Amino acid sequence: MKRLLLSLACAALASAPLRAASDDEVAARRTALEVAGAFTNDGFKLRDGNWTGVVEIGKPMVIQVNLYAGNQYWFTLGSVPAAKKLLVTVYDETGQAMEVDPYQEASVAAAGFSPQASGSYYVKVEEIEGTAAAFCLIYSYK
Amino acid sequence: MFLKHRPLASCLAFVCLCASAAGQAAPLTPAELSGAALTDSLSIPMPGEFMAALNKLGKLDWTTKFRLPIVTNYSSRPQAALNLGGLIADGYIAIEAEDGQQVKNIGKDVLALAKVLGVSKDVVERASSIASFAENSQWDQLKEELESTQNEVKTAMTEAKDQDLVTLITVGGWLRGVEAISGHVAGNYSELGAKLLRQPGIVSFLNKNLEALPEKVREDASVKITRKKMAEIEKFIAFPLDKAPSADDVKQLNKLAIEAIKEISKKQK
Repeated sequence: MKRLLLSLACAALASAPLRAASDDEVAARRTALEVAGAFTNDGFKLRDGNWTGVVEIGKPMVIQVNLYAGNQYWFTLGSVPAAKKLLVTVYDETGQAMEVDPYQEASVAAAGFSPQASGSYYVKVEEIEGTAAAFCLIYSYK
Repeated sequence: MFLKHRPLASCLAFVCLCASAAGQAAPLTPAELSGAALTDSLSIPMPGEFMAALNKLGKLDWTTKFRLPIVTNYSSRPQAALNLGGLIADGYIAIEAEDGQQVKNIGKDVLALAKVLGVSKDVVERASSIASFAENSQWDQLKEELESTQNEVKTAMTEAKDQDLVTLITVGGWLRGVEAISGHVAGNYSELGAKLLRQPGIVSFLNKNLEALPEKVREDASVKITRKKMAEIEKFIAFPLDKAPSADDVKQLNKLAIEAIKEISKKQK
């Protein structure tokens, strides 16, 4: 596991070679990986990939993901202390919000989701309290 | 790290038991839907995710999904990239089958193709770890290592301004996964299994990327046939949410994927 986290961190750092990762992005990534590490105790595997950017109040960010029915997923959003409260929401391909198991604590938020149908879904990350902050979204599955 | 987060794990479990967001958030706006980010590193699932879902439908003999070794001395770089993706998917299949020797054989072929593509130095160390994990039957670690290998190769290519080849690796891997899984569903048809094949977002993303390749790459014989087959495959993958494809549709999809993989791996004259 330690090996995977190290590898994920290295891959993450190298995954945007045309734009160097900022210190805040690295910190956000570390936070997300640490929280997602907790899910691996429950058999979840970390996907070796991430999505980074800057989130601020009133300017949510959305990414499309492709999920398989039967699998369970955790989407984990890590940020830096400037983000006081974050939210992760999952939507189906028509844009309707899905029922998720939520987790929220200061600069971290997560959403557990078990799709009933395979296909495209959307994950929205947003800041509820705080100032503009770097974020990193990762996911785990089993 | 884990000691530090042990309380967090308990807390997460507790929160999950107590709370369940009931999907009360407002729907996404059309602008949010059309403007959503789509990235290779997060939007396209790894073969392991597809296989995890399939494994839940019943025991599957993954050794029946092996294929004969392919050549690894392609002179066309786009063709080498397509086949590298396919080989990585073969690696996942070998791991699911828990066949150490097969994993090692595929590891060697991955290294050979990485050499053709000029990224072997990024793979050498990984290949050695893969062989070691395979010898010790460390299947979970192998999956992680394979995923990391794939991402490292893609990163090395992006750094070398070979983004086009990254697209082709993704397409080759996805096609090989579809070939194996549609073959299984076709042979053991169930509506539940068939519905797993629904991946409209992926196929449209990959087709868009294929069409955006530079003309020189698009005109490579292996890429040409891939584009043609992928366009046909899209019809069978993008079925409505509430409808499972028929057994015949799955067979047709499998036939297209088999043909694509066969053409891609055939050495060009």
